[in-house]
Amino acid sequence: MRVQLGRQLLDRQIVDSAGRLVGKVDDVEFAVDSDGYPYVAYLLSGQGALGQRIGGRIGRLLVAVADRFTENPPTPPVRIPIGLVSRMDSAVWLRCRGEELPRPPVEAWLRRHLIDRIPGADRASG
Amino acid sequence: MRKLLAATLGVLSAIGGFVDIGDLVAASQAGARFGMGHAWVLVLGVVGICAYADMAGRIAAVSGRAVFDLVRERLGPRVALLNLVASYLVTVLTLAAELGGVALALQLASRVSYLLWVPVAAFAVWLVLWRMRFQLMERVFGLTGLALVIFAVALFWLPTDWPELARGALHPQAYGQGWGAYWFVAVALFASTVSPYEVFFFSSGGVEENWTAADLADARTSVLVGFPVGGFLALSLVATATVVLHPHGASLSSLDEVALPVVLAFGGVGLAIAALAFFAVTFGAALETGLSAAYAAAQYFGWQWGKRVSPREAARFHSVLLVSVLLGVLVLATTVDPVRLTEYMLIVSAVALPLTYLPILIVANDRTYLGDRVNGRMSNLLGAVFLVVIVAASVAAIPLAVSTGMGR
Repeated sequence: MRVQLGRQLLDRQIVDSAGRLVGKVDDVEFAVDSDGYPYVAYLLSGQGALGQRIGGRIGRLLVAVADRFTENPPTPPVRIPIGLVSRMDSAVWLRCRGEELPRPPVEAWLRRHLIDRIPGADRASG
Repeated sequence: MRKLLAATLGVLSAIGGFVDIGDLVAASQAGARFGMGHAWVLVLGVVGICAYADMAGRIAAVSGRAVFDLVRERLGPRVALLNLVASYLVTVLTLAAELGGVALALQLASRVSYLLWVPVAAFAVWLVLWRMRFQLMERVFGLTGLALVIFAVALFWLPTDWPELARGALHPQAYGQGWGAYWFVAVALFASTVSPYEVFFFSSGGVEENWTAADLADARTSVLVGFPVGGFLALSLVATATVVLHPHGASLSSLDEVALPVVLAFGGVGLAIAALAFFAVTFGAALETGLSAAYAAAQYFGWQWGKRVSPREAARFHSVLLVSVLLGVLVLATTVDPVRLTEYMLIVSAVALPLTYLPILIVANDRTYLGDRVNGRMSNLLGAVFLVVIVAASVAAIPLAVSTGMGR
């Protein structure tokens, strides 16, 4: 499959098979096949990955904020194998459900320490 | 029949949702100081916001992506992050001003100091965001906000000189306060009409309600009818202020003075209706700005957002929402006068306007998102002309604010 990484993949929204928002394509990880050709093996998603891609002072700030709101820093990005991608248009659609992927660490931290402590956190208001 | 009812409700809530604390302050201020001389600004603003809301709605319906998703995709993560920070600060400042407006409306009704009402208002806003259904929320506050129509009615009760009003609208004058002050008020009024949060909110609402091309027609009608009628309500604020406040030539400094025309016309009942209307429009706008601030952050980072899922499934979104409301309270806790805060907020939003509107115009022309539903020639012409106006307002805002000392 031919894709322009910068225009069609990076910074796109990742959506799971049920339409839930998983994250952005914050970065990609390459691997090299047996013939020596590099290919995109994983999509990386998470504030830490984004911070490292942006770099500089702002990037380091993003990484630091993500690390503050995580159980075990440094925060690893969510790595999504490229094989799970079913199609790409205005978003990157996955074949699987978001629950089958590792949960974003900052989401988990905020859920445990803030949102779950407020009554009514498990009811959608619609 | 049911569909017609839904469409009518949509239109009515768009009308109520159009007016907020910015319009209340800027429109009355314009009327009190310069008579009808700023009527053209409202017309211009309404045409512009309709053109851009139409584009944002089309993008949401066709691509399923809201405005801030696109900002990051088009501008890249670094520039978009700066955009996010600026938009977030402006939106939270607006939220603070709206919360101040809610508290002032409660003070108007109860004679208890607004500062005591601020925490109550903020908690109520947060609770509604946490629990209340999206559509219900929009409708309750939009419909109650229609009570503002009392200002238009008051015009017929007051000794209004209609030909004089029309003359004032067609021949703006500086009334010895200098053209700098005139243009300062014009920029503030313009910014109140085209507040960026309205576009964030509109496009995110479209994504959340899963609009398709079919729903787009309804959404378009509610905006294209609702916003102009909302603009008419703002115009009636300018007109009543022209009739009642302008002859004294005083500059407006409190929400009580905004309500003065209807109090003169209808006495205590007028005051009660005005206070209710102020409460509804500022409360509704506080909800919209709070959500918009959190939408922007969530859409930049790709987090799950929205009121369709439970808060625990959108923990980051709801955390930002909570923090934004708290920041709004913190701003008001400095005891800054909410009316002054609104004036500052309008100037800051004027500066930030192009950050929202430019990316929309770019994406509305991008076939990879919209296929053959990209802008036609008419939309592009309107969009481009309006963008020039926005950039001019944005560039002029700070120099005007400094050179006139915030329009004094």
